[in-house]
Amino acid sequence: MGTTQILFWFLTALALLGAIMVLVSKNPVHSVLWLIVVFFAISGHYILLNAQFLAIVNLIVYAGAIMVLFLFVIMLMNLNAETEPQKSIWMKFFGVATGGLLLSFFISFIVSSIDLKNKTAQLKEGDVGLIKNLGKVLFSDYVIPFEIASILFLSAMVGAVVIGKKD
Amino acid sequence: MPIQYYIALASALFCIGVVGVLTRRNAIIVFMCIELMLNAVNLLLVAFSKMHYAKAAAAGAVTTAGTEGQLFVFFIMVVAAAEVSVGLAIIVMMYRNVHSVDVNFLNRLKN
Amino acid sequence: MDSLQLQALLPFIVLASASVVIILLIAARQSHTVIQITGFLMMCLVVLAMWYVRDVLPRAIMPLLVVDGMAAVFTGLIVFCVLIIGLFSFIYFEEREENPKEYYILIFLGTLGAAVLTISRHFISVFIGLELLSISLYALIAYLRNRNNAVEAGMKYLVLAAMSSAFLLFGMALIYMDTGSMDFDGIAKQLQTQGHSPALFVTGIGLMMVAVCFKLALVPFHLWAADVYQGAPVPVTNFIATVSKIGVFAVLVRFAQAVQLQSYHFAVIIISFVAIVSMVGGNLLAIKQQNIKRLLAYSSIAHLGYLLVAFLPGNAAGIEAGMFYLFAYSITLLAAFGIVTMLSGRQADADQLEAYRGLYWRNPLMGAILTVALLSLAGIPLTAGFIGKFAVLNAGVQQQLWLPVIVLVITSVIGLYYYLRIISTLFAETQVIFPKEKSLHPLFVAGTYGALLVLLILLLGAGIFPSAVIDGIKNFLCQGFRIINF
Repeated sequence: MGTTQILFWFLTALALLGAIMVLVSKNPVHSVLWLIVVFFAISGHYILLNAQFLAIVNLIVYAGAIMVLFLFVIMLMNLNAETEPQKSIWMKFFGVATGGLLLSFFISFIVSSIDLKNKTAQLKEGDVGLIKNLGKVLFSDYVIPFEIASILFLSAMVGAVVIGKKD
Repeated sequence: MPIQYYIALASALFCIGVVGVLTRRNAIIVFMCIELMLNAVNLLLVAFSKMHYAKAAAAGAVTTAGTEGQLFVFFIMVVAAAEVSVGLAIIVMMYRNVHSVDVNFLNRLKN
Repeated sequence: MDSLQLQALLPFIVLASASVVIILLIAARQSHTVIQITGFLMMCLVVLAMWYVRDVLPRAIMPLLVVDGMAAVFTGLIVFCVLIIGLFSFIYFEEREENPKEYYILIFLGTLGAAVLTISRHFISVFIGLELLSISLYALIAYLRNRNNAVEAGMKYLVLAAMSSAFLLFGMALIYMDTGSMDFDGIAKQLQTQGHSPALFVTGIGLMMVAVCFKLALVPFHLWAADVYQGAPVPVTNFIATVSKIGVFAVLVRFAQAVQLQSYHFAVIIISFVAIVSMVGGNLLAIKQQNIKRLLAYSSIAHLGYLLVAFLPGNAAGIEAGMFYLFAYSITLLAAFGIVTMLSGRQADADQLEAYRGLYWRNPLMGAILTVALLSLAGIPLTAGFIGKFAVLNAGVQQQLWLPVIVLVITSVIGLYYYLRIISTLFAETQVIFPKEKSLHPLFVAGTYGALLVLLILLLGAGIFPSAVIDGIKNFLCQGFRIINF
């Protein structure tokens, strides 16, 4: 088992552990911190896949900006208490059962599908994820959705200001 | 790495997100679980992009296969950031109005 | 991108700039009236731009967009709806005096999102358009933020829409895995040439259908619809019921057309199932409603179910029938919600059925328009709704889709019951004293009544002379079916 394999399994375990801890943490701040761990693990996966641009964007946008926003809101509301009311045990059971069914469905189909055999994701090499290649395509073929995304931000900005401003 | 591993990891993360949305009552954590689901999809797309790239590169020639998968991830991140800003504004508004972020509080709209 | 492609995008650029113009006007502290009139003129400008670029269509802007006849029909319908909704919004927001101005920015951006959906031929543009629409809607639904209802509706829509987007993306990812392509034609080509793994494709389509059903509020993903319709401001409800449905349906049609979705047995079964349970569920849930906004929400669930019956055959006749049905449904709902807007007071929306008791005697014109709209929803002859339903039935019968067609007929009869119940309320004697009508600028009263009259004429006109509309749609579609080669 080479370094790459060890890293892969380590990051996978870290991501799953983090995700489960997000779910079971009573304190919202702990949930946020565990979610950041998940994002770091996923960024690690991106680096293993040689998608360096996305790895960095993931860290900057998700771990850096979005999660700070979450933390900020939690602290603004002073929700740092472990007093979240719990759903009834039946609702929890139902939720876990739904998730488990969905997962078992996915797993069974991964195991059974023949088309997935012998297909691998290339690790460590392959320069498709480098910023040079992505940038060229982004600003030639995909320039219109890029512009639409800027309009989307305008919409988000106006929306957040309208909803959030004081009377 | 076999692509199955990535699909399994991503579906596990996705399903943990679904369970979170269904079982937690804190609106902020529900929203975080949705972010987790989006990240699972992102991981899946990057793995697929590298899979298609490897296949095309093995067939020879310089190729741009797989670029769109990674660009899609980029756009998903952009959109998620915008969505979070509006979503958190709505959660703050909810806190101001009902002094709680409990999603079970929201059951007044009936007839 | 060459100049012709840029020209084809002109209406969308104008639409995007409309919101920027409104922002600038707000920055210059212009009044609500000025903003309303400018918004109206900008929408007219969009229509003019569409007229101006008609010769350069159809044109593909590779790899993401294609502006063709079908897109023109759907975009035209969307812009028409927004024109009317904009007019109604003025009265609604003017008397609330709660910063009504930013509303127009959001509504135009949402419109742009829906319009982008109609021209998408690639997963990325579908996703961006859908999110532009959804993000504008989050803010619009929660717009009157001092009402608890608004918070609840906004929160519900936020959580469910974000979750359904995640499902959509997961489905798209699986299809990308299967075919290695994200544009509709590329997917179709891959499916034809190299064959495909049924499991992956089926799962992907299934997950995407979850999201589409959510956006169209089809059973079993309809739970948000009634609450959001009730909690949102009336013009926004109107927007959700018409514009967002048109956009999502347009992209569904385009995707199905490209990959020949209806030739897959499983897809037909899923869609038939959803259509049948939506028709039955929507109509049954609507029967006991006393709240007219909730009633229209459930009735729109049923109507989207009828629309899916037209979608099932997957041939040109089905698409034409679907388009006509969507046209009839949109103008009908515009008229019905228009009346709700007119009757809404400063404190609350006129959503209780009691508010409509004896409307006909108080205000014959409004009573008549609401009656015609409800008759059209019920599918009574001489209204647009009847022709729409007839076209859908015709398309279904030609393909021998007996089960959905029979359910459609039976549930329409159930629907008749509760529409007639409202109509009988309109004609009932009334003892209640209603507050005096609000005083508004006569120009806007005239404009609103004018819009209502136009809708009435369209409803009856499309019911009595449907061939004009159908020929128009066919004309545009022929343009769209021309093969695009670059």
